[in-house]
Amino acid sequence: MKRIVLSIRSLQSSRPPGCGGRRESITVRRPFGRLTLVVAIAAAAAVVMTMGASAHSAKGNAVKSGGTLTVGWAPSFGVTDNFDPTGEYLGDAWGVLELEVRTLVNYQHLPGAAGNKIVPDLATSVPTPSNGGKTYTFHLKSNVKFSPPVSREITSQDVVTAMERLANPNDGGQYGFYYTVIKGWSAYAAATTKSKKNPTGTCPKCKISGITTPNATTVVFNLTQPTGDFLYRMAMPATGPMPAEVTKCFEGQPGKYAQDLIASGPYMLNGIDKVNISSCSTIKPDTSGYDGQTLYDVVRNPNYVQSTDPYRKNYPDEIRFTVDTNEVDVANKIEAGQLDTGTLTLPPDVLQKYATTPSLKPYFHQDGGDRTWYLTMNTTQPPFDDIHVRRAMNWLMDKAALVQAWGGPTIGSVANHIVPDTLFNNQLSEYAPYKTAGNHGSAAKAMAAMKGSKYDTSNNGMCDAAQCKNILLLADTRIQDPKMVSIIEADGAKIGLTFKVQTINGAYPALQTVAKNIPIGERPGWGKDYADPYTFFGELFDGRAIIPTGNTNYSLLGITAAQCKALKVTGDCSPYNAKTGLGVPSVNSQLDKCAALLGRARLSCFENLDKYMMANVVPWVPYLNSFVTRITSSNVTKYAYDQFTDTPAYENMAVK
Amino acid sequence: MTAASELLTPARASVTQGRSAMRLFWERFRDDKVALGAAVVIGILILLAIIGGPVAQQLTGHSNDAIFPATMENSFGLPLGPNSHFWFGADGSARDVFVRVMYGARTSLIVGVIASGIAVLIGLVVGMCAGYFRGWLDTVLSRVGDVMLAMPQLLISIGIVAACSSNKNGCVHGLIQPGVPLVVSVIVIFSWPYIARLVRGFTLSIREKEFVEASRSLGASNMRIIFREILPNLAGPIIVYTTLLIPQSILFEAALSYLGLGVPPQTASWGGLLNDAQTYYNTAWWLVVFPGLFLVMTTLAFNLLGDGLRDALDVRADR
Repeated sequence: MKRIVLSIRSLQSSRPPGCGGRRESITVRRPFGRLTLVVAIAAAAAVVMTMGASAHSAKGNAVKSGGTLTVGWAPSFGVTDNFDPTGEYLGDAWGVLELEVRTLVNYQHLPGAAGNKIVPDLATSVPTPSNGGKTYTFHLKSNVKFSPPVSREITSQDVVTAMERLANPNDGGQYGFYYTVIKGWSAYAAATTKSKKNPTGTCPKCKISGITTPNATTVVFNLTQPTGDFLYRMAMPATGPMPAEVTKCFEGQPGKYAQDLIASGPYMLNGIDKVNISSCSTIKPDTSGYDGQTLYDVVRNPNYVQSTDPYRKNYPDEIRFTVDTNEVDVANKIEAGQLDTGTLTLPPDVLQKYATTPSLKPYFHQDGGDRTWYLTMNTTQPPFDDIHVRRAMNWLMDKAALVQAWGGPTIGSVANHIVPDTLFNNQLSEYAPYKTAGNHGSAAKAMAAMKGSKYDTSNNGMCDAAQCKNILLLADTRIQDPKMVSIIEADGAKIGLTFKVQTINGAYPALQTVAKNIPIGERPGWGKDYADPYTFFGELFDGRAIIPTGNTNYSLLGITAAQCKALKVTGDCSPYNAKTGLGVPSVNSQLDKCAALLGRARLSCFENLDKYMMANVVPWVPYLNSFVTRITSSNVTKYAYDQFTDTPAYENMAVK
Repeated sequence: MTAASELLTPARASVTQGRSAMRLFWERFRDDKVALGAAVVIGILILLAIIGGPVAQQLTGHSNDAIFPATMENSFGLPLGPNSHFWFGADGSARDVFVRVMYGARTSLIVGVIASGIAVLIGLVVGMCAGYFRGWLDTVLSRVGDVMLAMPQLLISIGIVAACSSNKNGCVHGLIQPGVPLVVSVIVIFSWPYIARLVRGFTLSIREKEFVEASRSLGASNMRIIFREILPNLAGPIIVYTTLLIPQSILFEAALSYLGLGVPPQTASWGGLLNDAQTYYNTAWWLVVFPGLFLVMTTLAFNLLGDGLRDALDVRADR
């Protein structure tokens, strides 16, 4: 179930920035005293300074509530579960769900480190774990209701409903693996798995034993082990409360609930209030809010009480997302004021224009993306089953050119290792094990790295075996992909590697199908699920997590011979042999060790693991830590960014 | 009397008898300066297709796949325009457009000629069989052709190319591989019915001619009649149609490549270069102008040649 799309979170999008922040309405409703005015100005200045460049009110326009924020989305929504919170795993979609779904704990919807800080949302406070870190007790705020047509107070049982839906393999949950630390989770999942004995996969009386609700406003989670990042996990959209009276109608239909999503947040699907929920048969898709393909439109939730939510400002009355297949068209419409912002990869000429034209600069936003883009190499497929070749690839690639292919320094910086520096508090910012002059790569060092490789039959540093020719390279069709392919081909040729390029519009499904045995892919990128380095390891390198399709452990680290047979892997699946450099490395035990740690020790462990990976495993050629780059129209008076979702904090944006 | 006697003079009679069909054709064709010019252009293009790429590579020192991001892209990754070293500028991957345009001639002509040749061959066989044998065979073949003609060509082509390109083994158990073979296959699939219909019509007409009847009465077999009597009489229209089909095929390849579904991006083709231009049309005019110019020139030359051939081969044409 897992991984399908983490990758997609990181995908193409360029993203945005933001400021976030506190109330910035400039509407004066009562006279200020002079002192108040001075304090207010000083405070405003401080806020602006701390928010950074992207935290502006464009051109000094007043920030006010109201209006419609229009967002172009290109080339398609690209969602993984149709915007259903239970299974949706696309980062850009999380930015949308933040408008409608509140969770027990959440974030401040700010850029930078502040945006990764856990704060209470539906809960009255952030709980302190008890029972040796294994029990978390949340108390729900009062006066928080579901949107129409449900319009009743949210209770602890609604949280349980969401968690059960996430645990049920029939309901499309894609990151349920984060919650297996909850007692009884796996048993519940097993009981609801379709089988001969239980062909429908239903189990009405089953419960997740580790989740209890002593009363309507209290929910308790009992874990099997201390889990330092459990609160982060409880801030992900799938954990937001759901009304069972509606979700029961969508059991076993992943994604279907999305068109009748009942909101707990400040916005709801336009038209959802007109849906008749008196019975399952009367519930029809709310196509005026979400048509399933090209339109996602949310309006204010009349049951939302602002005083219960200090972090969402909710300036626009309506936020409308529309799909346009042409990225250039979206950019042009934003510049013309026909759209306010966009979710898209900005074409290079647009980047250049906004980054260099003084009049457009205020509408150009950059924020940290917490994501790494990389070439992935399959350790079961020749010649990448040899660590010498994988190291040579890291020496060889002109990372500066790869970054330039994306749009240059405006898009991001050269990546030298797996986890973005921000998630290590920049502790590894100087770590660059394959550093070359100007980041242009070095054929000489690559050739040196090749020595000892079984594919260097002449022992001259060249990959001259037959396996080095016509290696299948899977590529996508985004603007930057053909350029990247050219660079990879040109650099590879320097040590004798030649590629047979297969280009697919949307390369992820093929790359994520293990049986396709793709030796190398240029498409992948990975963004954090939350601000913990574990989210860069578990899904990507745990051999036990490899699944037939939707697999994101592209290198197949830790795969066993039995798995290889079952998954139709054609290459060599024998364990890694340090003497020959051949075979499949495994980091499962290191992962377990790090995941069990807390605090600084945990961080250090993952830092060391990152170094170990780059030196002794070498599954990737990381090349780019990307920013989130977005543009806005002159109609936008305030831009805001959410570091958690790596998308604009739409609710904190304002339009004229 | 004088006039009659002049007509009967042996010298005049021999002149008339000596003008073979080929000579008649040539006399008509050489008078068509436009068609002659088009033939010369096509000759040059064929030469370019054969040696243009390597010569361009030699002249510039840039290979077809060599990239120059450091010198031919700005810091935003945008390609730079023509200069003394890159006469046609650089493409989106910072490759030399001049060299790629020259190599692109090869791709375009290969696709155009091979696809048209195969389509003509299939159309010829199907059309002759349908027209000559008639009956149920004619019904079946004609209906199949009609069905093909009724299909939305571009949409289905896109579907086929996309489907076959999604698998490294191609389609039909590896028979159709992604890349040029796939593009050729798609063009053939949708081109042969036009030729088949044309050939069928001619065959239906020719098979009723006296010389065919005579041959049949002398005991000639069907195969002999088809190959010795009918086929030679189809040569004219087939040649004309083929010259017109070649530019269509080139344009179709360009269209598929423009949509990102033609030859692989690494293979130089004019359509692919124009596809590249989509992304950079605001900033890189040279990506549109140079491949576009060659594409227009080639298709125009083939079309004009086709017109000239038609006029020269059609004895009924009013000269």
